[in-house]
Amino acid sequence: MNAKSSTSVKLVLLGEAAVGKSSLVLRFVSNDFQENKEPTIGAAYLTQRCTINDRTIKFDIWDTAGQERFASLAPMYYRNAQAALVVYDITKPQSFIKARHWVKELHEQASKNIIIALVGNKYDVVENEEEGSEDSKRKVSIEEGKQLAKDEGLLFFESSAKSGFNVNEIFMAIGHKIPDTSAGAASVNDNRNSERVDLTVNNDSPVNGNANCGC
Amino acid sequence: MSFLSALRSKVSELGLFDQANAEKKPSRDELFRDEFHLPESQTIQIDSAAEVSLHYNETAKNSQDFSSPTTSPLVNGESHVNHNDVFWSGRLFLTEQYLIFKDGFNGRDFNFTIHLSTIRKVERLPSKSYVFGLIITTFSGLRLTIQFIGIRSNSERFSLLLKKSLDTNLGCVKQLKPFLKTLYSEYLMFKNSPAGQDSDLQIPAGGLGLMFKFPGNTKKLRDKSKMRLWFEFMKVNGRNLNIVKQEMFYKLIRVGLPNRLRGEIWELCSGSIYSRYENIGIYQQILDDNADKTSIAIEEIEKDLNRSLPEYAAYQSDEGISRLRRVLTAYSWKNPDVGYCQAMNIVVAELLIFMSEEQAFWCLCTLCDKYTPGYYSKTMYGTLLDQRVFEALVEKTMPILWEHITHNDIQLSIISLPWFLSLFINSMPLVFSSRIIDILFLQGPRTLFQVALAIMRVNGEKLLKTTDDGSFIQVIKNYFGKLDESAHPTSKNETYRQITNFQELLVVAFKEFQDITNDTVKSYRRKHKNSVFSNIESFIKRTQIRNLPKLPNLDTNNLSNIYDRFYQVLETDNIQKGTGSSLMNFEQFEKFLSQITGWVIVSNVADSKNQEEFLHRLFVSWDSEFQGGLALSDVAIGLNKWTYNDLMSMIKTFFDLYDSTGSGYIDKEGMLQMSEGIIYLTRPLREGWVFDSITQREIDQVIAKRMNEYKKLLAENPDNEDVISPPNLTVDEQFYRHRQGERYLSAASKFLQNCFSYARPEQEIDELKTEDHLISIHDDDRKSDYGELATEEYIDEKDKKKSQSLKANKALDPDHPLAMDLPTFRMVILADESYELFFGEILASSIDINKPIKNAQSHFNIRNMFDTLVADGRKVANEVRRRIDDVQSITSPTASTFKRSRATSSASKHQASVDEEEDDDFISSDVGTTDTDLLKGAEVNVLNESKDNAKEKEASSA
Repeated sequence: MNAKSSTSVKLVLLGEAAVGKSSLVLRFVSNDFQENKEPTIGAAYLTQRCTINDRTIKFDIWDTAGQERFASLAPMYYRNAQAALVVYDITKPQSFIKARHWVKELHEQASKNIIIALVGNKYDVVENEEEGSEDSKRKVSIEEGKQLAKDEGLLFFESSAKSGFNVNEIFMAIGHKIPDTSAGAASVNDNRNSERVDLTVNNDSPVNGNANCGC
Repeated sequence: MSFLSALRSKVSELGLFDQANAEKKPSRDELFRDEFHLPESQTIQIDSAAEVSLHYNETAKNSQDFSSPTTSPLVNGESHVNHNDVFWSGRLFLTEQYLIFKDGFNGRDFNFTIHLSTIRKVERLPSKSYVFGLIITTFSGLRLTIQFIGIRSNSERFSLLLKKSLDTNLGCVKQLKPFLKTLYSEYLMFKNSPAGQDSDLQIPAGGLGLMFKFPGNTKKLRDKSKMRLWFEFMKVNGRNLNIVKQEMFYKLIRVGLPNRLRGEIWELCSGSIYSRYENIGIYQQILDDNADKTSIAIEEIEKDLNRSLPEYAAYQSDEGISRLRRVLTAYSWKNPDVGYCQAMNIVVAELLIFMSEEQAFWCLCTLCDKYTPGYYSKTMYGTLLDQRVFEALVEKTMPILWEHITHNDIQLSIISLPWFLSLFINSMPLVFSSRIIDILFLQGPRTLFQVALAIMRVNGEKLLKTTDDGSFIQVIKNYFGKLDESAHPTSKNETYRQITNFQELLVVAFKEFQDITNDTVKSYRRKHKNSVFSNIESFIKRTQIRNLPKLPNLDTNNLSNIYDRFYQVLETDNIQKGTGSSLMNFEQFEKFLSQITGWVIVSNVADSKNQEEFLHRLFVSWDSEFQGGLALSDVAIGLNKWTYNDLMSMIKTFFDLYDSTGSGYIDKEGMLQMSEGIIYLTRPLREGWVFDSITQREIDQVIAKRMNEYKKLLAENPDNEDVISPPNLTVDEQFYRHRQGERYLSAASKFLQNCFSYARPEQEIDELKTEDHLISIHDDDRKSDYGELATEEYIDEKDKKKSQSLKANKALDPDHPLAMDLPTFRMVILADESYELFFGEILASSIDINKPIKNAQSHFNIRNMFDTLVADGRKVANEVRRRIDDVQSITSPTASTFKRSRATSSASKHQASVDEEEDDDFISSDVGTTDTDLLKGAEVNVLNESKDNAKEKEASSA
């Protein structure tokens, strides 16, 4: 094995419609932002590579549709996912409720060791507001988010896909928590996982060409 | 709440779909309508074997002046029947508004669908022999000779019915002319007729493409030559509402439709033109009727308007956006069960390039109903189902690729889902997806599968080299980007080189996969729907249960059972009524409770008034949102309240039910109703359907006594074991039943008496309000040790304390109305052993939320209303066995049955004759648990069975 080991991580984004899931991914993958992004039909697939310490982590990102009725497709998407981003919009309380539901759903149904990051997006909207101001656009306080993250054992970030604030940090934090599955560490994982990873490692080169890392 | 309600509606929708699945064979009319894409209103009036020939009349009047139909110069049909014409034999059908013919060979060589309002003339074929025939002429000059085959009476009846139908359709003729003005085909024919050359005819309202250019290069697409071919075809074969389809029709569609005619042929193939003709003006009316309303769907639509095919010029303009908005909005009002689903914006955006708003609207309706059933529904079951079907078809047709996909854990269905959901529109360039849609409307849902399979097949080798989702998707993405490139760029053959990837894809799709028929798709859907549905259902159930408030008395299992029953009652009922409500109405509530309680009996004759009064009260008190129906959460919260395993809580629950205003007091009328309520609830006990623990104790006591005698006898005669017959373990049930009934009756009268005795005048209550806290403190004290307090004494005490003076004087005095508060009610209940027992244990356990639904039909078969009350036979047997085992485990086997009897009898404080120290010790330490066990056993209905089991057990242990 190389000194620089490589790990592939399946990551799924969940959250209410129009909270900025696709935009977060677009920012992370292409360092770009679009005001009118086409709605995701079903799910979109993107990849991005990061280097964390001595490890290359390849994120296989499944960005899912947010409309309520697509929720019943979600089990398809988070199957075997090692990480999840549960995104809400800090200006929309309903989206936080929805995020709570997603966290519960993931804890009940997804892989046991799934790493979940709770992300309050659209920080740019409240960035220049005075703290605690009366007509603040912020509807979900940072404390509420932190509390949920603490109760459920999640990573927590407030971010802005528009300004790029905290976006890479989310993925880096997840990367840090991903156990090293390559080389000697492979045996720790169950068979399926290590098999997946091995295959990915073997076929790294063709994928390499398509992914350009923005980290 | 919106989340919950959305889920609720999901479930109700599933219920409705189940109805469609009930393996109900479609009727002949349904199949017929499906085959010919006719609206719901059409049924077969009559059909007959027939031979038909088409005779094109060059002098046919043009549609634009068809208003003088009878001026046709052709009066005598005979001269026009050319005997060299080809006759097609097949079957002719007459519906309310259509005349339809299908050839007998494959149904594609020669068939027609003619709206009766387009028929200008029907002539009797001058019969030279036995042949009975008609000549039909339509406004566009289509002339068909029909010769009936079969018995003449049937043929004559056909012609008679046709005449009648033509008469009833006279009204439609007026609508025809304006309708024809919406059709591009009519415009095309007229424009190219001598009369049209020099008139400035308005081009019919059409798609956005007319304003913003159609996608693709029209020259390259050879639109003009395609149009000419269609012109020639329609001149001979008619068009729109009167069209004869021969092989050329299908060919013309397969090579790709000309842009300007595309919309009309789509609606013709899908049959949405018939819906539109039948519902002229409805589209606008839906929009007008809902002009100022708002809905969730509308909010969702607004979010997506700016992001639907944004690369197409029209959707960067207000015109395009507002057309899109109107069509999507109108659909969400027409079909609120679907509302709006992402991907519909893309589909409608595509339709609107080629169609007018009204055309697109009706086409969308037909698409959602017939081509993509359930795709856009709230659960998207259709989408999920078809992905499953697609996977199954890949497995069947490309086993090696499928093996590779599963081995590498590639999630094919995730990759293919957007293809199906958006009809390939946002997967490939518009010029290509339009052509797939051409064929989709012509050939039905199988088209999507055929194309998807062909994508797999064409890319098979490359896909076999991929090992994860990412590279798999990349191969397909690259392929979609190269559809216009040559499929054989290196071929030496010029013609080969000219074949594009897209052409190759179509060839593979419709040649290699021609065996995939619409029936194949249907049968695969049938095969997989159960697993797909149960996945969806468990997802919804999980989500909905998770979103219920925390309820201490109900665990997940209970909630799961409640959920199942709730929706089962709703579904069966809603299927009958055809509604999709996810609220439980009163009748359903009654049915629901009848399944889990002992006291609710559907069609209860004896107690109907009391039952209704009580249930109605219960229903209203559970209806938290005052919406006249109970949601799942209402039922769960309600049941939680009524299943406290705690006397005081149950008394309070009952009191609250009658204190509907929350004043804390119940007036005289309320007391009477309370009494009625308890009488109603205790009916199973009064009638002796079940025994309570008091009766059970008495019975046990008798049996124990007999057992003891038997033991004694055995001990005295140790050698004659075989001779001594075992004790008789059956009792006279009738006697105990009666005795128990009496007890409950007297409890009822005592209750009312006590109520009136201890209730205080209302005015006094007002005065005493300050004292209330004292009473409640007192009451709390009692709560902790009520078990040990002799209730009789307690009453006496209370009696003396404050009620003595009130007793008997104001009870019935109308000038001093009485009212009772909760502590008083508690006292009254505790004054009676039977009622105390009832509220302490029986009431809560008479609601059995543990019992899972055995199967879907179980509730139709309510064998024994009361097997749900507490237990069924098996449970009883287990209970008895457990009790015996408990005793056995702490004593020697031989003494076990004996001790059991001792224990039970001592519990009733009537000691059996034999007294041993050891036994007493045992009793004093274990009386609590034994007692509880007995109480549980007391609620047992199937007494004989329990005794049989006990007997067996005893026999084996002895």
